[in-house]
Amino acid sequence: MSTASIIKLIVSAVAAVGFFIAKNYVKHKPDDSIEPKKKKKLNRLFFFGLVLSVWYFIACVINEISGGPNGIHVEFDLFSNRVSLFGFSVSQTTVTTWCIVAVITLLSLIFRLFVFPKFKDIPKGIQNVVEIMVEAADNFTSSQTHNLSPVLGEYIFSLALMIVGCAAVELFSVRPPTSDLIFTFSLGLVTFILINYFGIKKKGFGGRIKALASPNPIIMPMKILSDIAVPVSLACRLFGNMLGGMIVMDLLKTSLGGYAVGMTSLAGLYFNLFHPLIQAYIFIVLTLTFINEATE
Amino acid sequence: MNAIAAALALLPALGAGLGMGLATAKAVEATARQPEASGKINAILLLGLALAESTAIYGFVIALILQSKV
Repeated sequence: MSTASIIKLIVSAVAAVGFFIAKNYVKHKPDDSIEPKKKKKLNRLFFFGLVLSVWYFIACVINEISGGPNGIHVEFDLFSNRVSLFGFSVSQTTVTTWCIVAVITLLSLIFRLFVFPKFKDIPKGIQNVVEIMVEAADNFTSSQTHNLSPVLGEYIFSLALMIVGCAAVELFSVRPPTSDLIFTFSLGLVTFILINYFGIKKKGFGGRIKALASPNPIIMPMKILSDIAVPVSLACRLFGNMLGGMIVMDLLKTSLGGYAVGMTSLAGLYFNLFHPLIQAYIFIVLTLTFINEATE
Repeated sequence: MNAIAAALALLPALGAGLGMGLATAKAVEATARQPEASGKINAILLLGLALAESTAIYGFVIALILQSKV
């Protein structure tokens, strides 16, 4: 503990206490001496100073404990590390996915056993929220695919829950499953299987091959290639966006040391909440668009 | 050589930035012409921007694969 750090701690603590006392003094003073607009401005200034000095105090304490910011040093693997489970070598994304599925199953069991039997004909409260979510998923799917199948709306709902669960897991500084190329490629593969299943069910196997050769049979290889490019592009888009967000958040956490106290929350508002939701929406819209295109 | 290749793999981001800027310009023009439709224009704009960004993301993924010596 050098003298510089002790001086920093004492000065920031004294400044915090001083701003707090000044703010209370301005608030409870009799109203005639300061006009209200200047009072509000002074109030805001003291609040800002209070927040800044409390932040600096906490940052200096953390720097003392953990040794200050060391340079930019982030390392990541392209594929997540493997753990060993009963002698099998399993990757970490599998274990994380199991945990997310367990939490979602537990929540739905609790909803099914305790909340659903109390539903009335005129909804209010939680019933409103659940009905809005289910109706939104069903209506969106039906409007994009022109009423193809009721099962598709349920699949889209669980897919959205899965990707939102992966975004929520990243808040606890665990590597999210969507930042693993193998997981997103599996999701793209399911989309590919769904496209071909609905295409063959609606048009027959011969109809699907005929759609591949549709304006002119010469372009058939190019159409086959663009059909294969659909799951690959879906997987790469989701993977690249999620991995980029994770790298930026890791850089913020490891390279600033103690000064990253409030900033990770503010940056996490964008990189861990908004960005994954937009990418999930894009994934779902593209899946429905390609299914619609295969069954027209 | 891997480092040069990884750095060159990010050149397509130029096309992505240009395309996204043009799309936003047209969206702003459409909103100025008819402000009531700004909700729908916003939704279409977000979809189009995320799709146009995907080529830059492909380049990013290739740069990552090249850099990590897989």
